Amino acid sequence: MASVELKNLSKSFGDVEVLHQLNLTVAEGEFVALVGPSGCGKSTLLRIIAGLEEASSGDVLMDDKWVNDLTPRERNIAMVFQSYALYPHMTVEENMGFNLRISGLSKLEIKQRVGEAADILDLGELMKRKPSQLSGGQRQRVAMGRALVRNPDTFLFDEPLSNLDAKLRVQMREEIKRLHQKVRTTSIYVTHDQIEAMTLADRVVIMKDGRIQQIGTPTELYQNPANVFVAGFIGSPSMNLLDGKLETKGKTKKVILSDGTKLNVRSNSCPLNDGDVIVGLRPEHLHLAKGKTEKNTLTGTVNLIEPTGAQNHLKISMAGKSLAVADSTLVPLALDETIKVCIAPEQIHVFAK
Amino acid sequence: MRRTLPNISLHVVMIIGVLITIFPFVWVAIMGTHSRSDIFSSPPPFYFGDNLLVNYEKLLDVMPFWTVLFNSLFVSVMGTAGAVFFCSMCAYGFFAYDFRGKNIVFGVMIASMMVPPILTIIPSFLTIKFLGILDTHFALWFPGIANAFGIFLIRQYMVNSITRDLLDAAKVDGASDFRIYWSVVLPLIKPALATLAIVMFIGLWNNFLAPLILISTPDKYVLTLALRSVQSVANSPWGAIMLGTFLSMVPLLLAFMFFSKQMMAGLTAGAVKG
Repeated sequence: MASVELKNLSKSFGDVEVLHQLNLTVAEGEFVALVGPSGCGKSTLLRIIAGLEEASSGDVLMDDKWVNDLTPRERNIAMVFQSYALYPHMTVEENMGFNLRISGLSKLEIKQRVGEAADILDLGELMKRKPSQLSGGQRQRVAMGRALVRNPDTFLFDEPLSNLDAKLRVQMREEIKRLHQKVRTTSIYVTHDQIEAMTLADRVVIMKDGRIQQIGTPTELYQNPANVFVAGFIGSPSMNLLDGKLETKGKTKKVILSDGTKLNVRSNSCPLNDGDVIVGLRPEHLHLAKGKTEKNTLTGTVNLIEPTGAQNHLKISMAGKSLAVADSTLVPLALDETIKVCIAPEQIHVFAK
Repeated sequence: MRRTLPNISLHVVMIIGVLITIFPFVWVAIMGTHSRSDIFSSPPPFYFGDNLLVNYEKLLDVMPFWTVLFNSLFVSVMGTAGAVFFCSMCAYGFFAYDFRGKNIVFGVMIASMMVPPILTIIPSFLTIKFLGILDTHFALWFPGIANAFGIFLIRQYMVNSITRDLLDAAKVDGASDFRIYWSVVLPLIKPALATLAIVMFIGLWNNFLAPLILISTPDKYVLTLALRSVQSVANSPWGAIMLGTFLSMVPLLLAFMFFSKQMMAGLTAGAVKG
């Protein structure tokens, strides 16, 4: 196991700078997910950590050793690729043992280590098959086995589940999590799927346009998003973002939405000065108002109801804006019905505009 | 009925095509079993004659047939093996590495394919003479082992059949550049290698112009040159020449049978999720 540290890391392709002065520390045994929209530089960052790409400037350290000039093998990392990248002309056994063969291990030792990895991933019966004879999930497991067999210091995953169907993705996600809990190897996982990142990782790194937006545990990111981008990216359905105005009267702070609705905001969670702001309301924090006594309410008309079983996802028109509400009460509602939703002051996020 | 009529006519056209293609070969085989006077009789005999052994003896008499056959085989095998190895290595260079001027070098290489080979005869003769390898088999097979056509063919095949991820995976596994080429890339481009091999083998086997210019010692003659040199003698022993011609086709047929299986093999299936 190794810690990984990036210091002022930048990468340019010609004139285009894709990574800007990144700093990140991954502790020994930690599982960190890099997440962001496509083109944000997360895969490039992973390739730099792997040693497949050179950084334009900055340092990559593993166990406090400077590794910029080392090959992937010398860094002792293992990588799982999005396309699996299995050698099509080799059997599962040969695929998994390829790196051990290069290391010059004895046949007996290779067989033993491949066997151990195969046991962990339940690949025993597939050893003599070629990749073309495997299903997507099985190929994915072989790719993981190939990484596992060499006892790497760091695991790197490059969107390993994006080619699988939804059900298999959930299953493999659990398998990866279980595997990490078992081997406790430092892991860096790239994905564009925030659910995957949140469920798997100890810490999540949110990236946009080659810059780190926020680093934190899944709960921290959910509860205290640093900016509008993180707020909109984390959580499903995503956060409602509305224009508003912040007003301070004595100790109380209020946001006034474009339709005149006033919402109380908890003053200590809102360090901004008065003026134009963006108000973030999570759909699951908006509750249908039960009586007239409820405070902090918004009024709108229902224009879409999407039942998901456990919740009804509602779209409410409010001052020309559409507001998503996740309603767990499952109260029957009619389209075009005027309803009131309320939210607790401490659950309102306010961002600078 | 609607479906069978086009089917039948298609087959008729194809069978006629096959007959037209095969006819010269069968004709050569038949002529190889007749004496010179039979061959020139009218109408010509379209059946196997009984002069095979006589023709064979005559063939060995007019040229060292087996030596010449071995020369041809040596030149073709060396040239083919060399071309398969060096063209694939060069193609791998163009495919896997990014270097300054890569596109220019590749473009110049492609452009060189457009120069008619006949134009390069005198410069290549002078070069070979300068190198002191005139009248050697080396001069026949060596200059062609890294040729633009082969490099282009294999490089295009690599582009379509090998993903960058596969090369990266091998790098992560700790394979050296040569190891990646040898253990990962070569097994995946077997069909292209087989195609190149058969094209090269046929080209070298049938090559007449280069041996004519470069080889002067009769013991170093290759088949094409030897068979032609006999014809220049008055009263050419046509039966023996036809037999020699037919025998010279056999290695080609064998080579095709050996490689065609490889050409069909779709080895890259399942390389990546498709």
